[in-house]
Amino acid sequence: MLKIDHLTKRYGETLAVNDLDFEVKPGVVTGFLGPNGSGKSTTMRVIIGLDRPTSGRATINGKTYDHFKAPLREVGALLDAKALDPSRSARNHLRALALANRIPMKRVDEVLEFVGVASVANKKVGGFSLGMSQRLGIAGALLGDPGILLFDEPVNGLDPEGIRWIRDFFRSLAKEGRTVFVSSHLMSEMAVSADQIIVIGRGKFITSGTVDDLTANATGTVFVRSADAPRLAQILSDAHGVVEPVNDNGLSVSGLTSDQVGDAAFAAGIPVHELTPQRASLEDVFMSLTADSLEYGHKSVDVAP
Amino acid sequence: MSDAPTLVDTTRSEFLKFRTVRASFIGVATFVFLTIGLAVLITLVIKANWSHRSITEKLAFDPVATSLVGVFFAQFAVGVMGARFITSEYASGAIRTTLAAVPRRVHLVLSKLIVLLVTFFVLSEIVVFAAFAIGQMIYRSGHLPTSSLSDSTVLRAVIMSGIYLTLLTLIGFGLGLILRTTSVTISVYVTLLLIVPIIVNFLPSNWQDHISQYLPSNLGASMLSPNLTARSLAWGSATLLLTLYTVILITGGTVLLTRRDA
Repeated sequence: MLKIDHLTKRYGETLAVNDLDFEVKPGVVTGFLGPNGSGKSTTMRVIIGLDRPTSGRATINGKTYDHFKAPLREVGALLDAKALDPSRSARNHLRALALANRIPMKRVDEVLEFVGVASVANKKVGGFSLGMSQRLGIAGALLGDPGILLFDEPVNGLDPEGIRWIRDFFRSLAKEGRTVFVSSHLMSEMAVSADQIIVIGRGKFITSGTVDDLTANATGTVFVRSADAPRLAQILSDAHGVVEPVNDNGLSVSGLTSDQVGDAAFAAGIPVHELTPQRASLEDVFMSLTADSLEYGHKSVDVAP
Repeated sequence: MSDAPTLVDTTRSEFLKFRTVRASFIGVATFVFLTIGLAVLITLVIKANWSHRSITEKLAFDPVATSLVGVFFAQFAVGVMGARFITSEYASGAIRTTLAAVPRRVHLVLSKLIVLLVTFFVLSEIVVFAAFAIGQMIYRSGHLPTSSLSDSTVLRAVIMSGIYLTLLTLIGFGLGLILRTTSVTISVYVTLLLIVPIIVNFLPSNWQDHISQYLPSNLGASMLSPNLTARSLAWGSATLLLTLYTVILITGGTVLLTRRDA
């Protein structure tokens, strides 16, 4: 069980993480979602003891990371795939980690084989592509057969085949009863790879739940197309809908159901050529949730409510 | 999986890291070549010019110091290696992987310290004894005065020059722990050994006398010279003081490491 307990981390003037408080449960893939600079990496760095929290703490089965003598057997983490000595071979890199945590040497070749870099195990890691480095980083995370796994933006640098592989891999890890905590700034990635999602923005907790939970609370829009769009827009506005013209006689209506839009048009005698309810995508939800907390980017993000 | 890892395991890990990068071999080769190569070069030159020397020059001839002259160049090679053992990890970001595997940071420093201490003590002693032996061989072949290890002050001088190099490796490491960047660490290290003595030379002479004997380079001179000059510390005090500098730097670096974010 991974527990983030009122965690706050400040770097000088910057408040990177602001009173985060949540738990990550075993047996499922938990997505950690937020825009760039929202504090995901900082949280992960605190979990594995690289950064010291300003207040609060992160615990693994009740203990902070620095209490583990062989931490790689408890937590496997891939935070930065390029954070290794470029002049050392992949095998020697893993052997050094294994020695420090008393992990049997045969495990090194097992994980190299598993992630598919065994053929370049004796090559210097400096020559590895980002994708290969990611795979080596995953090998390092698996080395101690840990119950908790952390991955920071793991799909970066992977090709489509690699992305599919890693999704299946996360699922299988979770199925084995492990805690799998994966960060991403890509909603679409989380929607397909995570069971549970924790959303943060500007270091603060925003919401959490399953993908369905997150989209269920958001009302969708209705797309309607009519030859007499201006008049229909007026009528729908009068019915308390929020209407946005969309190209070619189309209107995007929020605040009304498709039934209400259809009835209103019929009552006014306006012919309707198309009437489609549009379910809010996870992407829309994410955008609306984090719109206020984007560190960069333009402020007038136009999103569905 | 077996029981909890100990300092032995983390030290084995650090030793593996030390010997699995080519930079270590290049560094060690440079160190060996500088110390022994310079001994050969200098002693051969002295031998070739011996007949041109005046009587007083011949009397002042020191067969021990001249054969160990490479030590003063080798001190830069070992200092850089000591520093790089930690700063290269900051440069590549590997320090984060290292600390994730060994979160007990004092353990990490101790492990690295043991690796450097053992490796460079053994290497340094081998190198200085080799340089001394080759130097004396060359002098003997030219019928120049030679020294023998059966003379206890000579034996001490040779052993001490190895210890001097070991301590300088660790001073480089301590500075690296504190400064974290390779280039900055090497600049400070070179400044300490080369530039500070020059600056001290410009101070009023009564100041000079007080300060210069405490500089690392002069402590080294005291440690490995069998014959004491007037204004220098005895070899024992010099060794203790240089060890104290080393301990202070590494302790300071360790305290910083345990407090700073990686």
